[in-house]
Amino acid sequence: MPRAIELRSITKRFGSFVANEGVNLAVKRGSIHAIIGENGAGKTTLMNVLFGLLQPDEGEILIDEKPVVLPNPAAAIANGIGMVHQHFKLVPSLTVADNVFLGMEILKGGLIDHAAQIARTAELSRQFGLKVDPTERVGLLSVGIEQRIEILKVLVRGARTIILDEPTAVLTPQESRDLFETLRGFVAKGMTVLFISHHLEEVMEVSDTVTVLRHGKEVATRPTAELTKSDLVQMMVGRLVSFDRRPRGPVSGSRVLAVDDLWARDDRGLHALHGVSFDVRAGEIVGIAGVAGNGQTELAEVLSGLRPSTHGSVRLGETPLTGLSARAIRGAGVAHVPGDRLVRGVDRNASVSLNLLMGRQDKAPWSRGGIINRGYLADQSKALIERFDIRTRSAAAPVKSLSGGNIQKVVLAREFSGDARCLLIDQPTRGVDIGATEAIHTEIMRQREAGRAILLISVQLDELIALADRILVMFAGRIMGDLDGGAVSEERLGFLMAGVDEHGHHVEREMAS
Amino acid sequence: MEILERMFNVALIVATLRTTAPILLVALGGSFTTRAGIFNIGLEGQMLLGAFFAVIGTIFSGSPWIGLLCGVAAALALAFIFALLVVTFRANEVVVGLALNILAGGMTVSLLKAIFGTRGSIFGHGLVGLPVLRIPFAKEMGWFGQMISGYTPLVYVAFLAVPLFILFYKRTKLGLYIRVVGEKPEAAEALGISIAKIRYTASLLCGVFAGLAGAHLSLGYTTMFTENMSSGRGFMAVAILIFSAGDPKRILAGCLLFGFSDALSLRLQTFGVSSYLVLAVPYVVALAALFALSYRARPRIIQETLASMGRALSVKPPSAAEPPALAREP
Repeated sequence: MPRAIELRSITKRFGSFVANEGVNLAVKRGSIHAIIGENGAGKTTLMNVLFGLLQPDEGEILIDEKPVVLPNPAAAIANGIGMVHQHFKLVPSLTVADNVFLGMEILKGGLIDHAAQIARTAELSRQFGLKVDPTERVGLLSVGIEQRIEILKVLVRGARTIILDEPTAVLTPQESRDLFETLRGFVAKGMTVLFISHHLEEVMEVSDTVTVLRHGKEVATRPTAELTKSDLVQMMVGRLVSFDRRPRGPVSGSRVLAVDDLWARDDRGLHALHGVSFDVRAGEIVGIAGVAGNGQTELAEVLSGLRPSTHGSVRLGETPLTGLSARAIRGAGVAHVPGDRLVRGVDRNASVSLNLLMGRQDKAPWSRGGIINRGYLADQSKALIERFDIRTRSAAAPVKSLSGGNIQKVVLAREFSGDARCLLIDQPTRGVDIGATEAIHTEIMRQREAGRAILLISVQLDELIALADRILVMFAGRIMGDLDGGAVSEERLGFLMAGVDEHGHHVEREMAS
Repeated sequence: MEILERMFNVALIVATLRTTAPILLVALGGSFTTRAGIFNIGLEGQMLLGAFFAVIGTIFSGSPWIGLLCGVAAALALAFIFALLVVTFRANEVVVGLALNILAGGMTVSLLKAIFGTRGSIFGHGLVGLPVLRIPFAKEMGWFGQMISGYTPLVYVAFLAVPLFILFYKRTKLGLYIRVVGEKPEAAEALGISIAKIRYTASLLCGVFAGLAGAHLSLGYTTMFTENMSSGRGFMAVAILIFSAGDPKRILAGCLLFGFSDALSLRLQTFGVSSYLVLAVPYVVALAALFALSYRARPRIIQETLASMGRALSVKPPSAAEPPALAREP
């Protein structure tokens, strides 16, 4: 079959960092070709080279089996390549048709011919099954429709090969299915689709061929039908990842955190917690499972002092924490790894070392007499960066220059290096790649062995099964069951998470009034 | 009844149109920068400089038309400096705008002193204003004729520009690109539209209209130059621009409102109401009405301010001094 795209030994360096190293990629015309890899494996760099946004240091690009040079995106577009970026670039106040034709307006007598643009957009929309209303303003539309408009923008410029960067990251499952349907329609018309993903299921579902990148190199290109999910994971990570249950000793510690009949309201004023009670002992990991939005966030906020409870009590050892401020709760010995690390975990513009300091800047030996002890901070930062394997240029680099996994390691390093007796860990590996996830899991286990009481909230069941001694399942603000982490099935968890209790009864949700 | 009749008549409409024109011209100019995403607080200075050089040009050439061109050129020069600092060197828009306003104020005063050896105002010296246009057959059209005839040319330019501006933003490439650059610069960038080029163009177009507004003040509205004669019209235009988000129709509405209250206040003075109080009327009325009108369609700047204030407040943890209520729940 003819090749729509061929990249031959592409190398791209940024200073001393090699983003792509001798990558070969051959894409058959009329196929869906997936490119997968961990964050930072070089997927986006490679696609930017193909779209003319970056110039390769070595290697050549062939389109329709002819060598081409792509100095800018315009050249790539002229060669029939179109790219749908991960972040949409639409103008909210303009109509769908105006957005589609932006930069290549149809003119009549020097003025923009809106009617012709609308007609042409409607025609393309019918032809490719991308349902949109050309006259609607973009600002009022959903993300799924915005993506369709981005695809139409690419089509109207005459693309025969379409690159999609993480197209499903922002879509609902239904929208993703619609998108896959559209993509299959494209290849049926003889077009070629290249898409970047790190979502294994959808790669398995929709692609004909998969190319795996790791550390900037091409690891393998295979027909999808020959591969299993675990093959893909292994190729992406380069070694077997074990999400198996971590080995551990018995829990023998005394009760550290005691939560009794806790009630709280959410931002809309509805009850988010309905009398939640549980204990966490020293050297124990208690997992909280549940579909996102069943009170887990509110529970973490109440326990860390960010949200008031309306009834019930929380005690740390014999100290009551109910009604204390976040600062007082920290002072009492509760460390908190927040679920949204960029909002509550770090100050993105501050340096790594300042982020490691935050929260204890007024305590000796971190500071004396109101002056920060720079020498001590530098030593501690260096030690923590090393111990937690935080990949950063220097301790003075702003946190925003780090990858998601490394930002999370900064939060963990700060929270775990204090003397807290209880750790409150919310979604520790959300948006973190597999390699960093493993390192974070190992660190959490180490904290368990050190005798800390750990409450671990996660929407990822394999994470809870790997780490937790007990798993509490939350549904609609209630605890549905208390399961032994060592002897739990995903099926059983699934039932409880769906609100079906041990006796097969459905629990009703409180509705907005 | 008789008082009302004496107050509200065709003459009031004429006065309204006259007082609206200068602020309409400068606000329309500002719509270019507002829509291109530049907060241009320098309108006042550009207008003042335009007024001054229009007078200088007229005195030295003898022709108000050449004076008009001088005024526009001077405002354009100031607009270019503004664009250079804000677009190329990425300086803060408010700081640059304020600095240029102060520069324009100081420059006109010292040039006045250097050239004419006086302070305050300048008239005479062979200064002639722009001619008054009398529309033929206007006399036969009764009160309507009275309303539309007998203004200086820039009044017509100001009002006729409004539909052209609407067409410009809706139907021309440049108008569309100015909107895109202001609303979603990354979209413009992705499509190969140069943000810098569009912002320069918008700043310079703004300078042209601010210059026209200035020239109108000194050659049409009056025939003289007075220190600080723009007297806050540039700032009023900035306020109208914020609330109208640069939309020509809403700019017209805002300017007419301001012009009407201005004309009304001039009227009220003749009825013996305290002049200090009366002078504040247009500003108070215009601001209050604009705020009321635009409260629902809050523009970006206000939305962002409110959002960041909201964030700042919501992040604040509940203080220990005020423990949350512990009322028993059902």
